[in-house]
Amino acid sequence: MIALRDFLPYLGKRILGAIFVLLGAMLLVFFISYVLNPDPAHLWAGARATQKTIEDVVKRYHLDQPWYVQLYYFLQSYVTGNLGTDPQTGKSVISEMAFYFPNTLELVLVSMVMIIVLGIASGYIAGMHFGTKTDHAIRIFYLATWSSPYYLGGFLAILVFSSYLPLFPSCCMYSQTLAPINHITGIYILDALIQLNGAAFLSGLDHVFMPAAVLALLDFGLVARIMRSSILNARWSTHVKAARAKGMAEGEVRRNHILRNALIDTNTITAVTFGFLLSGTIVIEEIFAWPGIGYFTYKAIVSINYPVLVPCVLLFTLGVIVANFIADVFYSLLDPRIALGEGGGAEG
Amino acid sequence: MSTGAASMRKLITSNALSMFGLLTVTLFLIVTVAQIASSGAILPYSAYEPNYPQSNLPPSLSHPFGTDLLGRDMFSRVITALPIDIGIPLITVALSAVIGIILGTMAAFFRGWLDEVLMRLTDLFMAFPTMIMAMAIAATLGPSLVNVTFSMIIVWWPPYVRLVRGGVLAIAAEDFVSISKALNSSFFYIVRKDAIPNVLPTILVYATFDVGSALLTLSTLGFLNVGIPPTAPELGMMVSNVTYNLFLYPYQIIIPAVVVAVIVAGFSFLGEGIRESLDVKLRPHILIRSKPAKEIETNTQ
Repeated sequence: MIALRDFLPYLGKRILGAIFVLLGAMLLVFFISYVLNPDPAHLWAGARATQKTIEDVVKRYHLDQPWYVQLYYFLQSYVTGNLGTDPQTGKSVISEMAFYFPNTLELVLVSMVMIIVLGIASGYIAGMHFGTKTDHAIRIFYLATWSSPYYLGGFLAILVFSSYLPLFPSCCMYSQTLAPINHITGIYILDALIQLNGAAFLSGLDHVFMPAAVLALLDFGLVARIMRSSILNARWSTHVKAARAKGMAEGEVRRNHILRNALIDTNTITAVTFGFLLSGTIVIEEIFAWPGIGYFTYKAIVSINYPVLVPCVLLFTLGVIVANFIADVFYSLLDPRIALGEGGGAEG
Repeated sequence: MSTGAASMRKLITSNALSMFGLLTVTLFLIVTVAQIASSGAILPYSAYEPNYPQSNLPPSLSHPFGTDLLGRDMFSRVITALPIDIGIPLITVALSAVIGIILGTMAAFFRGWLDEVLMRLTDLFMAFPTMIMAMAIAATLGPSLVNVTFSMIIVWWPPYVRLVRGGVLAIAAEDFVSISKALNSSFFYIVRKDAIPNVLPTILVYATFDVGSALLTLSTLGFLNVGIPPTAPELGMMVSNVTYNLFLYPYQIIIPAVVVAVIVAGFSFLGEGIRESLDVKLRPHILIRSKPAKEIETNTQ
């Protein structure tokens, strides 16, 4: 482990870096939407809008102003947290996002746990059995699932596990016959657990299992692939040979020298996988009627609802940035050399 | 790291994974080219003409993929979709690689502020979730095949810049580049003669794998009805048009989706197999892989 006094400045630097990336992403989204829309008022108001509606839209979103004034209003809305109202529902965009986002978080977190377990275990087994039938079988399996589009996984799962063998529900987040529970975190299974509502908790788990498992099965290949190749890198490296030559017990060599080294590389790819999962939620939420942010964003994209679309794209980007940030911090905890850099001085 | 055609062939054929990939990719490419060249004359049935008496037939010898609601042969419809489903990912990846080679070599050779600006921009583009960004851009531009290709390229180029820059930086440190510079060779000469030939193998391997990913994104755009015109034949869209038939005629949904998976798998297996065969560290272990793993460990000391 590394000392706290080395770790804190590193953490500060990383947080600052993440904020800059987010700021840059906001600018980029602004300019992309500015360049791509020569006539945004027309697009936002819809094809059959009257002249009056278009003028209203122009006024409300300051579209008659030059780009730097628009940029000012754009940034101001994010700093003050007032993202305006959804023109289709009339509700505030922030409250809608606060409703949909925890549902997606539930799906993605459950799926992430499955990916980490599946990816690390299968990558480790494949790497340790390099060149054998086990290795080939695992590799073909994860390459094949990785190659499958989300809709194939979703429909096959519904067909087999909801229709032919009715094991899991194919729709929604919880059984509609249950009494609604109080919102605390917004994450259904967590809320049910906090309120010790066993029936709601089990129903939530039952409903989240299949969509999360489909996401996990289709995306764990990335983690498994990197895990396998890092195991291969580690197991024939000099320090492992040295450890064996010292007479270290085989279990200890595998745990401390092979597995730990392999986990360092795998950590980064897990963050990348998180980004894939977020993209995957769009299709999976559509297929499983899951009221998440992916479904919400998809509706906004199809109806070209920019006042909702832009904050949603930025929320997804924030998700990727946070995942990368967490991976970086884990990286520094697993591999102390990264955080210390030149100034650390603790290197032997 | 120069690999001649002969040793490349050996690399691919020595690996079962890349062999399967090569066969699949070749087969689909041949069918695609034949479909384009014959402008549909190779199809057993018309992909567009309805034939109501034959509607919703399950897969059989005369209709290997079954027929759809209008009685059209699904096999012919799948083949009609190949030019779009293989062409657009190939174009996306090829143009992204070209952008990557241009920007990556510029960043690596000129360093300084240009490198800094290019890499920060690349980082920014990489922070976006590719699918959502591509969807948003494609939806804004309106449905057309050109627009959908354009929106894919916008999210697709960043990894190539990083890959090329890293490769060129590694080469720029080599002696033959310093000698070339000392001989007063022009920038373009060095790029053409030293940089590109040396980073090309890495790019090709990555791009092979990447064509599969591009197809996954494209067919998902089709599935979500974003960007691809409703009249264009596309496999993902074919699936989404009949989702209501999932329980009645599952083959109408599963078969086009499986075709997507097989094409993606072909490219991924090919890329993954070549990458592994090129991996110098693994080579001794691959050559004697018929022996049990325990033995290999002691043999390669």
